[in-house]
Amino acid sequence: MKINPVIEKELRIKMRGWRSPALLAVYLAILGLVIFFGFFENIFDIGYSFRTFNPRTAYNVYNALASFQLVLLTLIVPAVTAGAISGERERQTLDLMLCTNFSPLSIIIGKIAVSIAQIMLLIVASMPILGTVFLFGGVRITDLLLLIAYYLATALMVASIGIFFSTLFKKTSVANILTYLTLMFLHFGTLVLFAFYVRVTMDPVNFTRPTFNEALAFLFANPMFGFSYLLEGPSGGGTILSLFTMVLSYGAGNAPVVPPWVANMIFDVVVAAVLIPLSARLLRRP
Amino acid sequence: MLVIENLVKKYGRFTAVDGLSLEIGPGHCYGFVGPNGAGKTTTMKIVAGLLRPTAGKVRVAGIDVVENPREAKAKIGYMPDFFGVYDNLKVSEYMEFYCGLYGVEYRKRAVITDQLLELVNLTDKKDAYVDTLSRGMKQRLCLARSLIHDPDLLILDEPASGLDPRARIDMKEILKELRNMGKTILISSHILPELSEMCTSIGIIEKGKMVITGTVAEIVRKISQKRTLKIKVLGDTEPAVRLLQEQVTVGSITVGNEHIEVEFEGDNNQMADILRSLVKGGIPVISFGEMEGSLENIFMQVTGGAAALENQSGN
Ligand SMILES: Nc1ncnc2c1ncn2[C@@H]1O[C@H](COP(=O)(O)OP(=O)(O)O)[C@@H](O)[C@H]1O
Ligand SMILES: [Mg+2]
Repeated sequence: MKINPVIEKELRIKMRGWRSPALLAVYLAILGLVIFFGFFENIFDIGYSFRTFNPRTAYNVYNALASFQLVLLTLIVPAVTAGAISGERERQTLDLMLCTNFSPLSIIIGKIAVSIAQIMLLIVASMPILGTVFLFGGVRITDLLLLIAYYLATALMVASIGIFFSTLFKKTSVANILTYLTLMFLHFGTLVLFAFYVRVTMDPVNFTRPTFNEALAFLFANPMFGFSYLLEGPSGGGTILSLFTMVLSYGAGNAPVVPPWVANMIFDVVVAAVLIPLSARLLRRP
Repeated sequence: MLVIENLVKKYGRFTAVDGLSLEIGPGHCYGFVGPNGAGKTTTMKIVAGLLRPTAGKVRVAGIDVVENPREAKAKIGYMPDFFGVYDNLKVSEYMEFYCGLYGVEYRKRAVITDQLLELVNLTDKKDAYVDTLSRGMKQRLCLARSLIHDPDLLILDEPASGLDPRARIDMKEILKELRNMGKTILISSHILPELSEMCTSIGIIEKGKMVITGTVAEIVRKISQKRTLKIKVLGDTEPAVRLLQEQVTVGSITVGNEHIEVEFEGDNNQMADILRSLVKGGIPVISFGEMEGSLENIFMQVTGGAAALENQSGN
């Protein structure tokens, strides 16, 4: 079996020197501080007896950390992938790769794999820290695994968008801007559209609220929506979901047809399945 | 080995390559000469499978590069005119990366790397970082890279440009060795003398069209032939024509509506003599010059003087 040479070379370049270990160390230090202050506050308020320890605090710290990592992912993955192809073009190394008989699809897949590996390194390295929170109860191991799966799917979607713009446009700066704009639309544009829909359809007298399925129709592509549902379940009440639960109506028979995080992961995979072959086609014939 | 038929490449409305055809037999070395912007790089990129032609056919060892790019690329080694290298990568790792792209098995990579670095005299730089190499060394490394899959056809786009004289000689020695290995080579330059010594055939391209092609000896013969002068006089052309006919260096004379076209065989001093005798003879000459786009004109650009070429081929 042969490892994709693009992955091999990129990892070799990126892991060389002090930058990657330094980045990882800083990242873990920040996470450690977040946890420390999360618990410190708790201990300070209630006193340092573990008998009065409130699991909800551990839960909130866990949610905050998990959300922080999602934000980090959506910031870092575009920065890595939007320059993946256009950067090679600007450095004048792209033609040297394309004149070999290595397939453009494998180049694209290699670049995406490297970007996901980079972010997953940060995430997996932080799992022991999340694990300490997990130790204090409130979080099951399956929650942790699902969370990782959700990160993977989101990273795949973001990376596909980044690489697509990187192949479509000659300049890394343009690819970067368009990738971030697309992500902003997914995160906030869909929310605005949904809010608009709510305003238009809301009955001012009875104050009817949209159903979960209506929300899903607008927000299935929004990584935050599925994520908050994944973290806190339909009843919510915690940090992020409150944003959504405020406007949604609940009751018997108003469960979503499919859990939002499942819908979002399906969306992620579909985006990747469309954009990756498309990028390879673009790369094949400039 | 390489057959190009009526190749056309348009960038929007601009035609960079305009109906170009050429053929290179196995083991031959073909020099592709033309001034900057003539369309050499465009043609070579199409052959290397990096650009899609607007029209025309390119076949390498019988394989169509547009229809079967992967099979064709396996036969072609390409060295671009400008290229970059990666930071934080050693020479041996650089070679192994491209070995991977060409699908070379792991256990063979080290051997191939060593052999090729030996060929291009970079063995002692094996553990150096590629971005610290000099321009000439990078050029040689890129050449080694293009040989990894033992291609039959080598496409070298201005391999000597930007090199100092010492590095040029090194490059020339390596290219000679490649010829001896039986590789078919298509090599470009905007200076003819650089190629005339090592190539079996030469093609001169200008504005996307092949102007002349043949062996070096054939081309020298053609170039020392006729040049065309364009002369414009006031009023009656008759006295001018009579005076011109007396000149020994002048061949046939054609009188057009605006100009007199004169076939002329000689150097620039003799051209000045003609003008002098016209003026002395009281002819009101208002313009006198060599016809635009004539062979000689292009040759002046690519050779820096025909004399240089004749000296070269005489060696
Ligand atoms: N991507 C491009 N878009 C538009 N014009 C181009 C492009 N690449 C090359 N050209 C034009 O095509 C012509 C031929 O260029 P090129 O093949 O690089 O010439 P050469 O290698 O002989 O110097 C030039 O006039 C150049 O400006
Ligand atoms: Mg060129």
